Amino acid sequence: MRSARAGQIVVALAAAAVLAFAVLGDDEYTQHLLMWTALNAVLAVGLRFMLLVGETNIGTGAFYGMGAYMGAICTTKWGLPFPLALLAGGLLAIVVSTGFGLVTLRTKGPYFMLISFAFTEVVRLIYTRVEWLGGNSGIIGIFPPQALDPWMSVLTFLLCGGLILMMYLCEQSNLGRVFRAIQNNDAVVETVGIDVVQIKLVCLVIASFSVGIAGSLHAHIYNVISPGDFSYLVPVFALAYIKIGGDANVMGAVIGAAILTVLAQMLQGMGSLEHVLFGGAIVASMLVLPDGLLGGGRRLLRLFSRGRA
Amino acid sequence: MTAPLLVAQAISRRFGGILAVNDFSFEIQPGEVMGLIGPNGAGKSTTFNVISGFYKPTTGKLTFLGEDITGLSAAAISRRGLVRTFQHGSLLREMTVHDNILIGALRAVRDNSGREMRVRETAALLGLGGLLHATAGSLPHGLQRMLSIAIAFAARPKLLCLDEPLTGLNSTEAVAALEVIGRIRDEYETTILLVDHNMRVVMRICDRIAVLNYGQKLAEGTPEEIRNNPDVIRAYLGDGE
Ligand SMILES: Nc1ncnc2c1ncn2[C@@H]1O[C@H](COP(=O)(O)OP(=O)(O)OP(=O)(O)O)[C@@H](O)[C@H]1O
Ligand SMILES: [Mg+2]
Repeated sequence: MRSARAGQIVVALAAAAVLAFAVLGDDEYTQHLLMWTALNAVLAVGLRFMLLVGETNIGTGAFYGMGAYMGAICTTKWGLPFPLALLAGGLLAIVVSTGFGLVTLRTKGPYFMLISFAFTEVVRLIYTRVEWLGGNSGIIGIFPPQALDPWMSVLTFLLCGGLILMMYLCEQSNLGRVFRAIQNNDAVVETVGIDVVQIKLVCLVIASFSVGIAGSLHAHIYNVISPGDFSYLVPVFALAYIKIGGDANVMGAVIGAAILTVLAQMLQGMGSLEHVLFGGAIVASMLVLPDGLLGGGRRLLRLFSRGRA
Repeated sequence: MTAPLLVAQAISRRFGGILAVNDFSFEIQPGEVMGLIGPNGAGKSTTFNVISGFYKPTTGKLTFLGEDITGLSAAAISRRGLVRTFQHGSLLREMTVHDNILIGALRAVRDNSGREMRVRETAALLGLGGLLHATAGSLPHGLQRMLSIAIAFAARPKLLCLDEPLTGLNSTEAVAALEVIGRIRDEYETTILLVDHNMRVVMRICDRIAVLNYGQKLAEGTPEEIRNNPDVIRAYLGDGE
């Protein structure tokens, strides 16, 4: 109990520090690093959200991409205001994930994973074939309004933080308990009158909405998108963030996203060595810290306090 | 006589080449404890799966409280008041005793304070009152069996179907469990369908017993009638030798 409260305080302080930096800092590169981290954190928390019901949703990549394409179209083709472009990314993800879920959520485990993988790749192929969406080269010149330029990192931080907070609160509620129960034993959940497929659908839609909004943000932060940005690799990386940070709670996913985003930037420009080192770092941390950095830290803390007692 | 709670009319369930349940008809009256017995593989658990909506019957019709429930989902049947447990005791291993029982109460009780009361009352009834914060998977076997009943009973079903609730319990635990089942029937006016292999127990607690053999009903009647039924004696003692 007490450690949970202490954890909340630490998280709040860290968030305040990052926010202050986003407002006050003027180093453009670091600001971008902050925004990439925030986007990756939403991806990791969104992927983890469906892991709560026991499903690995590779479709996370597809819904992120849909949000990005929708946002890009709203801004570049339809001239809609930026907030609408963000919202549209989330709404499209809601609509498509509802349809996708109704068809696929009767499957589970490896079957659902494979179907969601195929879905992501098919959606990506569609982008490459449709001229209107820019084909292989994608869409360029996706800019937020100029007046927002100095505020983009703050906005990104707040929006992504809000989405993560929403998913965190869902997890803490009775809905989150039902998620965990489904992961433990879905037959028991069904016997007490709860529609498992319906709950999984709610879970999928909430996660997809979050990831869809983040996708639209992505388009406006990178200013360029192409089909290759939204392959199955998106959720695979998100899974690495979760595993490295620790999957016991939301903060693990956020910390993992921060560390690997920064690491990937540091390793960039090392050519093919980049991927080797990146992969090596993931493998090494999995071997040394099977329950992630957060789990490792907790064990260290326990060891320490036992030593004193 | 009052209207029966559950009517199964000629239900069958086929798995590929085998008829696990074959043309089985029975009725359960409100307030009674009905026993379902039979040798291994007779089709008892399959019958449970069919009446609770986990399997669709291949043929036949199910009526619960006068409503046709054939083909409804397990969740929908549960919400109408028919809740079952699993033979191998099912619980939410990584969650606390409290959260296990809460999941059982979630659909049945609409407000949070009501749910908490329901959890406490149910836990106390099943001897889990002091263990609300324990993790389900860490409980000893006997208490895990009690918890799987607690989850089902937290929904306060009209018909509670227990698939071998006493398996693996020592004799003290079995006596305690039987007493609890008796209280669930008497104090909460719950109708019970019970499968168990312990003949003495079944004979003692059940008002009526149906005997299954190779998926078909072999006999039905009071414990006294079943005990003296030559077909039943042959199925249990004769066939193998
Ligand atoms: N899902 C299934 N797929 C194929 N066959 C099944 C399935 N479920 C049960 N069976 C078969 O149906 C028959 C009846 O099984 P069931 O589990 O209903 O018996 P039971 O009376 O509960 O036995 P026990 O006393 O061992 O629990 C068995 O031959 C079993 O192998
Ligand atoms: Mg059985």
